[in-house]
Amino acid sequence: MSALSLADLQQAFRAHLLGEEQAALVAVAVGDRIPASARLRVYRHHVFTSLTAALGVTFSTVRGAVGDDFFAGMARAFIAQSPPAGPVLSEYGAGFAAFIERWPPAETLPYLADVARLDWALNLAYAAPDMPGLTAERLAAVPSEQLGMLKLGPRPGVALIRSAYPIDRIWALNHSGDVDTVALDAGGVCLLVFPRTDDAAFASLDPGAAALVAALEAGDTLGAAVEQAMAAEPDLDVGAALGRLLALGALTDPGA
Amino acid sequence: MDVIDCIAQMPLPTGIGLRARHLDEMAACAPRVGFLEIHAENYLGGGPALRKVERLRADHAMSVHGVGLSLGSADGIDTRHLDRVAALVGHLQPRFVSEHLAWSVVGGAYLNDLLPMPYTEESLAVVARNIDRLQTALKRPVMIENPSSYVAFVHTTMAEPEFLAALVARTGCRLLCDVNNIFVSGSNVGFDPVAYLDALPAAAIGEIHLAGHARNDADGETILIDDHGSRVADPVWSLYRHAVARIGMRPTLIEWDTDVPALEVLLEEAARADREAGAVAAGRAA
Repeated sequence: MSALSLADLQQAFRAHLLGEEQAALVAVAVGDRIPASARLRVYRHHVFTSLTAALGVTFSTVRGAVGDDFFAGMARAFIAQSPPAGPVLSEYGAGFAAFIERWPPAETLPYLADVARLDWALNLAYAAPDMPGLTAERLAAVPSEQLGMLKLGPRPGVALIRSAYPIDRIWALNHSGDVDTVALDAGGVCLLVFPRTDDAAFASLDPGAAALVAALEAGDTLGAAVEQAMAAEPDLDVGAALGRLLALGALTDPGA
Repeated sequence: MDVIDCIAQMPLPTGIGLRARHLDEMAACAPRVGFLEIHAENYLGGGPALRKVERLRADHAMSVHGVGLSLGSADGIDTRHLDRVAALVGHLQPRFVSEHLAWSVVGGAYLNDLLPMPYTEESLAVVARNIDRLQTALKRPVMIENPSSYVAFVHTTMAEPEFLAALVARTGCRLLCDVNNIFVSGSNVGFDPVAYLDALPAAAIGEIHLAGHARNDADGETILIDDHGSRVADPVWSLYRHAVARIGMRPTLIEWDTDVPALEVLLEEAARADREAGAVAAGRAA
């Protein structure tokens, strides 16, 4: 028996928890009535089950869509490859959607990574600071000749999620009870995810409104963003589209 | 005894660990409870839950209990995380702040558990340095909780109470005595819980934790799991009475994290802790 330094013991413990049994660690762990490897298994079990549960909370739609067993297998592979970088578990899982896209067993579920992107965007929106968005009254106070040059970015927590699949209905199937079947060939969606006072939500946007948000997100002026929105949807009612974004509190107030 | 000690040791009814499912009920019903303990890491991401805690802060004494600072890390503690915890503590101004004698971070990976370490001079230097950093950042002493253990190390040279007493002497930290953890660890790694309690420096203990544990099978042998998923077990109540008899009453907390029950169950457990401690203290005074 040779004692490990604390740093080496902790490195070995990590490798043991996330992968293969480490003989050097087992050798310094006391095994008496219960063997050392069985004792160390308690920690491994807790790390995987607690992190799987945390991912299951953040990615609740993914979990609902694939079931607990498939989700646990996918989470386990992700945790072993990308353990959290910090202890705030609501911030764990930024890479989960990209992981799902490349994980062979999920190949037959091409919508699943987009569902994960929606879950993650809702998670970020939930954690966003509680600040008022730009109101219609504030915008109306801007002299009309200055409107075109305004820069109105989305407020923190707002995100645009595009998918070739009806991920809004997949979400509703798992959370709302209003939907009991989803036709995967029903077509794509563009969803605006946004924070509310006590939670987060999303709304479906038409192509013109989506182009408007995408342009504002990219830093375009309101005038340039409206041009792009009109190009995407020539008969768009710009006033109504902008009014809806304001009602959702989705834009920042440049003067606030 | 300095001011912090006087405040920490003032009689205070038993508190409960505040869990997400009880946030709205706590705000609506405002039940009488000694204090509310939150896990720092559950509120560092911001959002509506933190805003609810901020509102409860107006009516309740608070305790901020860290679970992720990894005071046992040979790598040192994560500066960004330390800054976030310090900001939360500065914002909420809780009556108590505590963390664990454990580690969870190595090489930038956070392994979501309170992992064990050998009790050696090397470990003592590491943990003392990390506690110094924490106390300097918070500008106040913190309480360090004894962990629940499933394994011990062959190169350990100190018993856990001796290690904790050495941390108190080196850093001026206080102790959070988790009575359930003493019982669980005693059963799993083989020590006498009463002798353990008697070896702790009583004056340094500022808070007591109580929780339930589970009994699991490990290769045909019983291993106790500190899952905080049931009522406090009878032998743990017995150990709690011994603790109060030896060190006197301390602010006590009921923790429940797995299969969290209705709020009233936590309040019943808290009321029982008050009765148990009150009966022992009355006998002690008589």
